[in-house]
Amino acid sequence: MTCKSCSSNKTPTMKDFQSNNLFTWCTNCGNYGIHTALRRALVAKKIPACQTLNCFDIGCNGNGSDKIGGYSFHGLHGRVIPMACGATMANSKMTVIAFGGDGGTLGEGVGHLVHAIRGNYNITFVLHNNLNYGLTKGQASPTTLKNMKMNSSPDGVTSELLHPANFVLSLESTFVARSFSGNVKHMAKTFEQALDHRGFSFVEILQSCPSYNKETPHEWYMDRVFDISNLADYDSSNRQQALAIAQDQEEKIAIGVLFQDKKSVPQIEKQPNRKDIVTDAYEETRHYDISKLLSKFR
Amino acid sequence: MYFKNRYVVKAAGESGQGVNSIGEILAKAIKNNGLYIFGYREYPSLIKGGYASYQIDIADQEIKSSSKECDLLMCLSRVSFQMYLETVRENGSVIHSIYKLTLSPEEQAYVEKNKIHIIYIPAQDLAIELGGKRIMSNTIMLGAIWQVLGLEIIGLEAKIKEIFAKKPDVIDINLKCLQAGYKYDLSGLTRAVLKISEHKNFKDDLLMTGNHSISLGAIAAGVRVFYAYPMTPSSSILSYLASVYHETGMLVKQIEDEISVANMGVGSMFMGARTLIATSGGGFDLMTEAVSLTGITETPLVCILAQRPGPGTGLPTWTSASDLNIAVYSGHGEYTRCVVAAHDIESCYLVTQHAFNIAEKYQIPVIVLTEKQIAESIFQVDHMPKDIPIERGLLSDEELEKAVSADRFKITESGISPRWLPGSCDATFDANSDEHLSDGSLTEDAIPARQMYEKRIRKEESLLKELPEPEIYGSDNPDISFVGWGSVKNSVIDAMNILADYSDKKIAYMHYEYVYPIRTEKFIKYAKTAKKLVLIENNALGQLGSLISSKTGVLFKNRLLKYDGRPFFIEEIISYIQDKE
Ligand SMILES: Cc1ncc(C[n+]2csc(CCOP(=O)(O)OP(=O)(O)O)c2C)c(N)n1
Repeated sequence: MTCKSCSSNKTPTMKDFQSNNLFTWCTNCGNYGIHTALRRALVAKKIPACQTLNCFDIGCNGNGSDKIGGYSFHGLHGRVIPMACGATMANSKMTVIAFGGDGGTLGEGVGHLVHAIRGNYNITFVLHNNLNYGLTKGQASPTTLKNMKMNSSPDGVTSELLHPANFVLSLESTFVARSFSGNVKHMAKTFEQALDHRGFSFVEILQSCPSYNKETPHEWYMDRVFDISNLADYDSSNRQQALAIAQDQEEKIAIGVLFQDKKSVPQIEKQPNRKDIVTDAYEETRHYDISKLLSKFR
Repeated sequence: MYFKNRYVVKAAGESGQGVNSIGEILAKAIKNNGLYIFGYREYPSLIKGGYASYQIDIADQEIKSSSKECDLLMCLSRVSFQMYLETVRENGSVIHSIYKLTLSPEEQAYVEKNKIHIIYIPAQDLAIELGGKRIMSNTIMLGAIWQVLGLEIIGLEAKIKEIFAKKPDVIDINLKCLQAGYKYDLSGLTRAVLKISEHKNFKDDLLMTGNHSISLGAIAAGVRVFYAYPMTPSSSILSYLASVYHETGMLVKQIEDEISVANMGVGSMFMGARTLIATSGGGFDLMTEAVSLTGITETPLVCILAQRPGPGTGLPTWTSASDLNIAVYSGHGEYTRCVVAAHDIESCYLVTQHAFNIAEKYQIPVIVLTEKQIAESIFQVDHMPKDIPIERGLLSDEELEKAVSADRFKITESGISPRWLPGSCDATFDANSDEHLSDGSLTEDAIPARQMYEKRIRKEESLLKELPEPEIYGSDNPDISFVGWGSVKNSVIDAMNILADYSDKKIAYMHYEYVYPIRTEKFIKYAKTAKKLVLIENNALGQLGSLISSKTGVLFKNRLLKYDGRPFFIEEIISYIQDKE
């Protein structure tokens, strides 16, 4: 959409994505780094703030909805994915990014993730994986390690954990990346690649949570993550290789673009009846004449 | 009960036997012959077996409801014979193709008592003798019905030719079968006496369901996105819009569940595309969290809620008007919403269009209620109503240039804040489901939180001023004053028209189309002068009655309520008016 009030085609700056609201995250929360990296990526991709829609789930990440420039939608817990998919279907020109925690995404709304991947809706989805429910003060999430003692499970979690990257790779995903909240530079680069991808870009951020995840703090990740782009023979178009490398989350954790299907076609371009239509649905509001449709009823 | 100039024919059989096709062909052919019809379908929630029927009421003037009894029953299966025999009125007729049908003692007694004529037509044998297939027995039965109706065969032949236009090799044999049925010896059966109107071209009349009309209203109103998850009786909106999406270019998508449907709807509407979503009660339950979300983010949303009986799965393929309460009270928190109830083709078409204007102008959810009886019954109209001008309540280009972020949720007297679409202006904002300040920034402070809360609630008052009062039909000095909503209007008005010929009882009916927020000024006057005020609803609790009582203090002592999955049949209303005092 052309922004009717944009004064010029000036290049976006970090300031455009700034807000005057004070942050409310804990000291050393991984969200600060994610937030900064995102702004850097948007600026690097020269995406104007007025052409950006950031969609937030309910969770600690969502409390950042008014701490960033651009348009924001801060919706329901677990439902950010369908909301963002609906947004991009109506307006494919705007950059739509969605953020969700491991609780909202893999607990409350896990079905939406599956179907958004099937549909390959053109959004970037950032999973803030801090291994717990942060905003409700530290209950177990689907990614909490088994046997971990959380406030909802004082004797330890009794269910198996869900590996987000492996789960997503096991579906017909077209872009799966992983990064670490302690490495802003790597996150920014990963977000840029995700923004470039046409289709559903899944980015898992291994996020430190100083308040409720004492087991795997910042340092724990620092010791284990390695950038996949340093591997000489890694082929990110090979899903099997991606599944194999994503598996290890204990010893050596791969970060970077694990898998990408370069031939990916986003959902909006797969509409058989809209092949010749150049506008987006949001531009098409006017009266339509139904008289041609009436003969069937006679 | 027999009514002058009304004739009722019912085709019945198992689900999957082609009852619906017989009904559709008949309905169109009868209409083309210069008559008015209303088509009512009953069918079970299964694909093959059980019993299904397609009833056509025929009249010499516009009708929108069904009779309980029929003059002619055509049966293709034993189960449907048993099910529907007792709907045949005194001196009525049955034609059937059930091999070696023997009647139970109860059936025999009913037939004798009511002097019902039953004739067997060996339709399958006839079809095969003529060189056709077994399924063509349906065409033979069609011909036989046509004979009883006493209509010219050409009218039906034309329809058959049209239907099989794409399969020319079966036209001849079908026409032969039709003739065989039309000529079959049905001596002794009472023939229909139909009063054919010749004053207008009935061929141009339209036969459609409420769901068709809602779909057409949506297309006309510029709806460009439709999301749904199938659920009877809303599903045919999805299938119809999909069937014409090459013509319309509309984005029509079946989504994985109603939670996603509603949230995708929110996303698309937020970006500015007119988006429709549709479901029935169970699906709407899943959407209610998103409805509440639109309340605080002030995102327009329009949802069709096609009612069927609950709770739970209830009677999936039957009718009801028992979801007014969830439409009005669903979703946590307090916020402004609008609930509208359609009842016929004109109403479905216009209310759908108006719903979008209301949703966009007031930035609220609008729920459009229909019922299976409206959604899937077949209405006859001679034209579609005039479109309502589109109103979006968006800032103009000049206004946009001056807009600042803090305008988006600005505190105003009317409760309505300026609205613009994401991407259209560099004054960006946060549509925040957490309580917020006027640019959407989160706040938990008491004063601004309360101001924002009140602003959203003030929209109800502004909206109420724009919504129409209920309409009153019938006598100015009534013996009985009905109040209702939804499809009951169709039955009451039809009953009133019939009664005019038989009784000097004076009847009035007050109809609520715009149900919430509810206007009550006109009702209060109506109730004050009423000799006998009667609440009529297709539910057990009198949900509209409770809403009216809560606002006005007027209690409904007389209630005509029906909640067995069936609509109000005209006989029921007429007996109520005549017998009960
Ligand atoms: C329907 C619903 N259920 C529960 C909640 C309460 N709730 C808010 S945030 C949250 C969990 C947050 O965990 P996660 O999604 O992992 O995000 P984090 O806070 O860790 O970033 C819950 C359960 C809610 N807002 N809505």
